Amino acid sequence: MEFTRRQFLKLSGAVAATLAVVELGFDDKGARAKTREFKIAELKPTPTICPYCAVGCGILVYSKGDDVVYTEGDPDHPINEGSLCSKGTTVRQVYTSEKRITKPMYRAPGSDKWKEVDWDFALEKVAKNIKETRDRTFIHKEKGLTVNRTDSIAYLGGAALDNEECHLLQKLFRAGLGLTYIEHQARI
Amino acid sequence: MAETIKLVDVTKCDGCRACMVSCKNWNDLPSEMEDFHGSYQSHEKITANTWNVLTFNEQERKDGGLDWLFRHSSCLHCTEAACEKACPENAISHTEFGSVVVDYDTCVGCGYCVQACSFDAINLATYIDKNGKEFRKAQKCTQCTDRLEEGLQPACATACHTGAIVYGDKDELLSSAEDRLAQIKERYPNANIYNPQGISGTNTVYILADKPTTYGLPENPKVALSQIVWKDYAQPIGKMMLGATTMAVIGSFIATNLNKKNHSSEGDQSHE
Repeated sequence: MEFTRRQFLKLSGAVAATLAVVELGFDDKGARAKTREFKIAELKPTPTICPYCAVGCGILVYSKGDDVVYTEGDPDHPINEGSLCSKGTTVRQVYTSEKRITKPMYRAPGSDKWKEVDWDFALEKVAKNIKETRDRTFIHKEKGLTVNRTDSIAYLGGAALDNEECHLLQKLFRAGLGLTYIEHQARI
Repeated sequence: MAETIKLVDVTKCDGCRACMVSCKNWNDLPSEMEDFHGSYQSHEKITANTWNVLTFNEQERKDGGLDWLFRHSSCLHCTEAACEKACPENAISHTEFGSVVVDYDTCVGCGYCVQACSFDAINLATYIDKNGKEFRKAQKCTQCTDRLEEGLQPACATACHTGAIVYGDKDELLSSAEDRLAQIKERYPNANIYNPQGISGTNTVYILADKPTTYGLPENPKVALSQIVWKDYAQPIGKMMLGATTMAVIGSFIATNLNKKNHSSEGDQSHE
């Protein structure tokens, strides 16, 4: 079998092209691992305080539009220095969870169902009940001593309250309304 | 760039599970409800949507006391990764940080990696595409490679408040691990550093308080010989054969065509 120069060039070109195609299949080492998009890129974090226990860790909240995409311990916060416990790490769900209740709920006496009510109704109901209960159960004197208290209402505070809020709440509930049962959610 | 590793000192762990939650938070993984298994452990094992599980292991001591052993268990990012060797699509590869990641575009969900992994760290997740058809992809801890690329620490290391999980320079951390091991030897005589050499070490190194088997870790994991033969020899040779065959077919096709031309244009001047 004899080749002309032209045929030889054609053949070698075809071989080169075939090799090039086949080579593509071999080139797997160069394939760089692909990772996903950096989800907090260009997002400005908002600092906040963890609402759960009394330690009061700092948290950075990364929000995009009206969605919270990530929360993380605040590395600049002196208490937790960026770390968080398992509960504080879930703080994103306070906003994103489907189970979150966004409207005041009311269960009427004797009813077994919660129903949504508006804020005006809820606040008025609470105020009315506090007034009614306090008036009914207020103790002015006990064993000759002035006590001015009510034992029928309790107040439960939360770890998200700061000193100033706690001071105001003490003023309102202990000094103002005469409550003695004042407690805190994060009492361990 | 200096080599980096994740060092997990289980003796510093207090079992708070923030690593588990922060992993879900960063990687947007759905929660998985499981039944009570009779221990403090929340999930029985690593799954496709739970990339790290804090294992709780109750171990009776010889003196009658009890050791409650915790371990942050997730993908160890082996230097010689069995999953990478098992993957027929080359979807699993090492990054510049030494982490082993799955390319979700290439993964076909065959599940060979799941069988190959010595640590049960990789699993198949089932998704549904827009036509309602089910498809599967291998999922596992990425060591937060997307965070590492931005100069951040993995989410679990960021969250850890006792410093049980730290990420940083390999040599520095390995020497600090030796120091720590000397400190805890008295309390935990079986303590050891888990960085199995059979797979040239891992990118997650443990300081364990007891023998690896106590923690459910293989004493000396290895990449199966059959996998090495398959991936490093059989597959390339097979591809080469495929290439050679293709070349031969195309080559002969062209040669025949040329010959035909020869026949038609130059009559019977050329014979075989």
